Amino acid sequence: MKTNQKKAWLFLAPTIIFVTFFSIYPILRAFVMSFQSGSLINLSWSGLSNYQYLFKDPEFWLAIKNTALYALISVPIGLAISILLAWIIFSKVKHKSFFETTFFMPYVTSTIAIGIVFRYIFNGDYGLLNFVLRCLHLPAPIWIDDPSMSLTTIIIFGIWTSLAFNIVILMGALRNIDPNFYTVADMYGASGAEKFWRITMPELIPTLAFLLTMNIIGAFKVYTSVYALFNGQAGVGNSGTTAVFYIYNKFQIVGTPGVAMAATVVLFLIILFITFLQRKMMKKIGEN
Amino acid sequence: MKRIRWGVVLGYIILVIFAIITVFPFIYMILGGLMSFQETTSIPPTIIPKHFEWGNYAKVFAQAPFARYFFNTFVTASITTIVSLFNSLLGAFAMVNLQFKGKRFIQIILLSLLMVPGEVIIFTNYNTIARMGLLNTYIGLVLPFLTSIFYMYYLQSYFGSISSTIYKAAMIDGASDWEYIWKILVPMSKGGLFTVGLLSFISGWNSFLWPLLVTNEDSMRLLNNGLSAFASDAGSETQLQLAAATLTVLPILILYLIFRKQIIRGVVRNDLKG
Amino acid sequence: MGNDKFVEVKNLKKVYNNGHEAIKDVSFSVKKGDLVCLLGPSGCGKTTILNILAGLLSPTSGDILFDGKSVVKTAPKDRHIGYVFQNYSLYPHMSVLQNVMFPLVVGKNKKPKAEAKKIAEKYMKLAQISDLADQRPHNLSGGQQQRVAIARALVGEPKILLMDEPLSNLDARLRLKIREEIRSLVKEVGITTLFVTHDQEEALSIGDKIILFNDGVIQQDDLGQNFYLKPNNYFVANFVGNPVIDNFKVKKDDGKIKAKDFEINVDDLDQDRFKREIPDGDYILSVRPENILPDENGGLPVHVDDIELIGRERILKFEHDGKQARSLVDLEAPIKVGDDIKLKMRLDRIFLFTPDGERVY
Repeated sequence: MKTNQKKAWLFLAPTIIFVTFFSIYPILRAFVMSFQSGSLINLSWSGLSNYQYLFKDPEFWLAIKNTALYALISVPIGLAISILLAWIIFSKVKHKSFFETTFFMPYVTSTIAIGIVFRYIFNGDYGLLNFVLRCLHLPAPIWIDDPSMSLTTIIIFGIWTSLAFNIVILMGALRNIDPNFYTVADMYGASGAEKFWRITMPELIPTLAFLLTMNIIGAFKVYTSVYALFNGQAGVGNSGTTAVFYIYNKFQIVGTPGVAMAATVVLFLIILFITFLQRKMMKKIGEN
Repeated sequence: MKRIRWGVVLGYIILVIFAIITVFPFIYMILGGLMSFQETTSIPPTIIPKHFEWGNYAKVFAQAPFARYFFNTFVTASITTIVSLFNSLLGAFAMVNLQFKGKRFIQIILLSLLMVPGEVIIFTNYNTIARMGLLNTYIGLVLPFLTSIFYMYYLQSYFGSISSTIYKAAMIDGASDWEYIWKILVPMSKGGLFTVGLLSFISGWNSFLWPLLVTNEDSMRLLNNGLSAFASDAGSETQLQLAAATLTVLPILILYLIFRKQIIRGVVRNDLKG
Repeated sequence: MGNDKFVEVKNLKKVYNNGHEAIKDVSFSVKKGDLVCLLGPSGCGKTTILNILAGLLSPTSGDILFDGKSVVKTAPKDRHIGYVFQNYSLYPHMSVLQNVMFPLVVGKNKKPKAEAKKIAEKYMKLAQISDLADQRPHNLSGGQQQRVAIARALVGEPKILLMDEPLSNLDARLRLKIREEIRSLVKEVGITTLFVTHDQEEALSIGDKIILFNDGVIQQDDLGQNFYLKPNNYFVANFVGNPVIDNFKVKKDDGKIKAKDFEINVDDLDQDRFKREIPDGDYILSVRPENILPDENGGLPVHVDDIELIGRERILKFEHDGKQARSLVDLEAPIKVGDDIKLKMRLDRIFLFTPDGERVY
């Protein structure tokens, strides 16, 4: 079937053309631009100066710190809540698909629109959240307009957003566990907690590793939810700036695309490193 | 017996609390969009407005060209979905059914690109589109998204689950590849194609960063950009912001509630393969 | 050329990309109108040959001629073949009628719908599936799907029909029925057919001739009965026959063939059956269980370890020289487990093989 050769490339042509121009080329271009300075129309080689600038820029370090903190706090909490909810839906209740449908809603809806609602709920004066907190005699912080609260607000919103995907994927994994495992455990009189820790959790580990990576990568790319919460800003006085915010700012507003691309390369390397760690982790799990 | 039932009750309580936390923002958004300005800022907060201010929607449409945003969003999401689905379909067919030199190489390249986050290439793509003079055009909005490695990969696994002898049978029956694609492959994978189409349309509808970069004229904005600009312009008129947010979310929410099974199944199948 | 070599395969070789040599220099031919079985254990290369004949795989070297013309470079659709797949590969989203019509309404020689329908209905009648026209494949039984697959393979009026294990997905009883139907159908249509199977009984009952493969090589290309009476080699003798043939290690020495517990005078053997003069040394003596029977004057004393009932006959199992062997006896023979008896073999039905498998007697 030698005739297949030409045909195959014909069928793949649209994909290959678009991928070359809009995936491969931009990666190489970003890499090249990170060693250039000047405006977009007038770039010249400048060696490592963009990277030097980057590592001296306190705003960059703030962005990395915020992004890392966001990832390290929101991901484990989000994942823990997701496991709890998925497990309850799977093992305790009857209307599984109703709850699944409900919890998945945030995944399909626009972050910008929901961000506007959250901004309203988080409002320090007339927001619903602080009203509830005051009723319970708890401290009612200024969520949006206090620079020291920015990251906390972003994290809460991030957790809320992340549950949808996690729960649905975990439900899929829970359904895939061989029900005979539980039947056998019941025969030996295992308790609910024992079944959870001895059967469910070990069976979920590959899925959890996958979700952990996806969530962390997602967290390192956080942008839209911050934009939505703070109405286009990165919090008061840029207190909630993130890596992508920093890149956007340097690229579009400040007009130093070289610095933006240097930051992009750093972000890319971080994400690549996380992906690499996941591969390693999955391999280890596979071996056991 | 008693302990088990207790656990179920506790489970329901936790679930209902979180279900409320999940759904409440949506309900509050819809209700808030129907409040008067005073109701949105009153203390204690209003939950259900005294009477529904449908006029808020008229004001939203009067203050910003939301009809235009809708149109733009619908057009770009549809074009991206149809074209990228078409391209992915052809590509996935070739990768699954045809034998050719370099197939492994292509597969490795595509799989590696799958791991590159969109945020890494979006700014340089902006640069490309700008140099092509395509800012503020529909072509500029859709061009980089006319093919999707992700959906092609998804379809590959879908087509791969069809027995390879079906393709052989069609070849012996005298069908051309083109006939095989349209008379056999597509009808046999309707479900998968539909799910991919839905997911692609939804992500097109919700896209934000790319249109933010390549459009600055109001008439070319998409819904989410229009919405965020409107939210800044409308300042403290929260009820109008919420009405506009409702407008943005509602079509997708309805689509979701109709096709929830296909969408959820699609997402689960998609992502577990990593 | 012509009718005797309607299908001709010359020095066919197939080496897969991973280096696996699936077919090593295979040549054979098929007479027009014959039903030929390609028989062999799984992995012997028989399906690979069928795929190459169909044009679904290209050979590494060698030639294939249909009716005297080389088709190696011809696309599958232009080879005028029909193919029945092991899993039938019916199009699940089409009705039975649409499935059978499909070959007529695609490709270069498309026929108008009405004409295509007429032809399809003719073949559906032939395959006795006319009343299933509007059903979807998943509503049909295995046997019905099988018939649809055959009707679809025949509807384009191919010159050659290729069938890949078409019966292996059916239950045992249905298999017997359908294999007779297939034979009478292809004979009625008069089409040259190649039928791949791993089941020797199926091959013997359905084939005009059988080609037995192993390890990518033809072991024997012959009429059915000759696989019993004149096996080419040790592999053939052991592959064909149920229960399997008994093998005894023997030594030729001093005008005698000696096993552990028996010996035969070379002079008692039918001298015409020797294929060549054989020197003294190690051989394998093989005899089918129906040709080694209890006899008071038998030269092989054995101890019956076990008896297995198979329908009208029983298999006596015994050990000789550390290997199990069998004797096929009548249901009513007065023998029990634990008996010590004597066996006698029909000397005109035994075979002698060299240690590397060549038959010398």
